[in-house]
Amino acid sequence: MITDFIAMNGYGLYIWLSFSIVLISCVAVYLKTKKTLKKYENEFLVELQNLSVEEKNRALENSKVAQQIVAANSKIN
Amino acid sequence: MFKFFSSSNIYSLIQNLINFINSIFFLILIIGLTFALVLSPPDYIQGDSVRIMYVHVPAAWLGLACFSFITLLSVLNFIFKIKNFYFINKSIAPIGLLFTCLAIITGALWGQPTWGTWWAWDARLTSMFVLMLFYVFYILAFKFLNKEELIVKVSSIIAIIGSINLPIIKYSVEWWTTLHQPASIKIVGSSSIHSTMLLPLLVMLLVFLLYAALIFLMKYKTEIIRIKKKNIKRT
Repeated sequence: MITDFIAMNGYGLYIWLSFSIVLISCVAVYLKTKKTLKKYENEFLVELQNLSVEEKNRALENSKVAQQIVAANSKIN
Repeated sequence: MFKFFSSSNIYSLIQNLINFINSIFFLILIIGLTFALVLSPPDYIQGDSVRIMYVHVPAAWLGLACFSFITLLSVLNFIFKIKNFYFINKSIAPIGLLFTCLAIITGALWGQPTWGTWWAWDARLTSMFVLMLFYVFYILAFKFLNKEELIVKVSSIIAIIGSINLPIIKYSVEWWTTLHQPASIKIVGSSSIHSTMLLPLLVMLLVFLLYAALIFLMKYKTEIIRIKKKNIKRT
C-alpha cells in the first residue's frame, strides 16, 4: 500500500519531485529571510549599545520600534 | 490617513501577524498536503499527475498576484509618494520571483508526463518566462542602483512595462493555440473543475498565501529595522 502511494501509478517521480522542490525552496527562503532579520536586529542592538547613555535613552524614548526590538531580544539592560 | 502607515504603528502589528501565521501554518499545511496527496481523486485523463496542480497553480497565481500588486503600488507611489510602498514592493518582489520560478519548474515536471516534453515555447510558458525576467530586472534595480529616487523611477517603469505581460499570461491560452490547457477555474461563469479537486486546491492556495504573507512580513520588518538603524542617532 505504501509502495503504491509512493509510486502514484507511475507518476511518483514527477509528483514527489514537484512537492520536494517547492518544500525545499520555501524552507530555504524562510531560513534565509529569518537569518537576515536576525542579523539586522543584532546590528541594530549593537548600534544602540555603541551610543552614549543619553543618546540611547533618547533613541528608546522616541522610537517604539527600538523599544520593541530591545524588548524582544532583551540583550540590552 | 497615511499616519497609519508609519513604521512604529506597523511594527507591532507585523509581529502579531507573524505570531498568528506561525500558530496556524503547520496545521493548514498538513491538511492541505493530506488533501493534495491522499484524499483528492486522480484525474480521469491525467491520472495521479494532476496532483502537481496543487503546487503549480497556487504558485502561478501568486506569481501573477505579486506582480499585479507591485504595479499597483508603483503607480500609487508615483502619485502619492508614500515611502512605505517602496519598501512593500521591495519585500514582495523576491516572493513573486520565487513563486514564478516554482510555477515554471513544477509546470515542466507536469508537462513531461502529460505533454511528453519539459518545455515548449508556447504563449503561456513563454509569457510566464517573461514575467520571471521582469521580476529579475525589478530586483536587480534595487540591488544595483544607489539613489532611492532613481530606484523608484526605474523599478516603477519595469513594473508598468511588465504589467502589460499580465493579461497576455492570462489570455494566452485563449488567444493562441497552446499546449497549456485553458483555465479550469473562472471567477465569472462556471468552473470545469470538480469540487473534490477544487477544495484541495483552495486549501493549498491558503497555505501558499500564508507562506507569502509570512515571508513578506519578515522582509518588511527587516526593512523597518534597517531604516531605524540608519537613523538611530537622529531619533
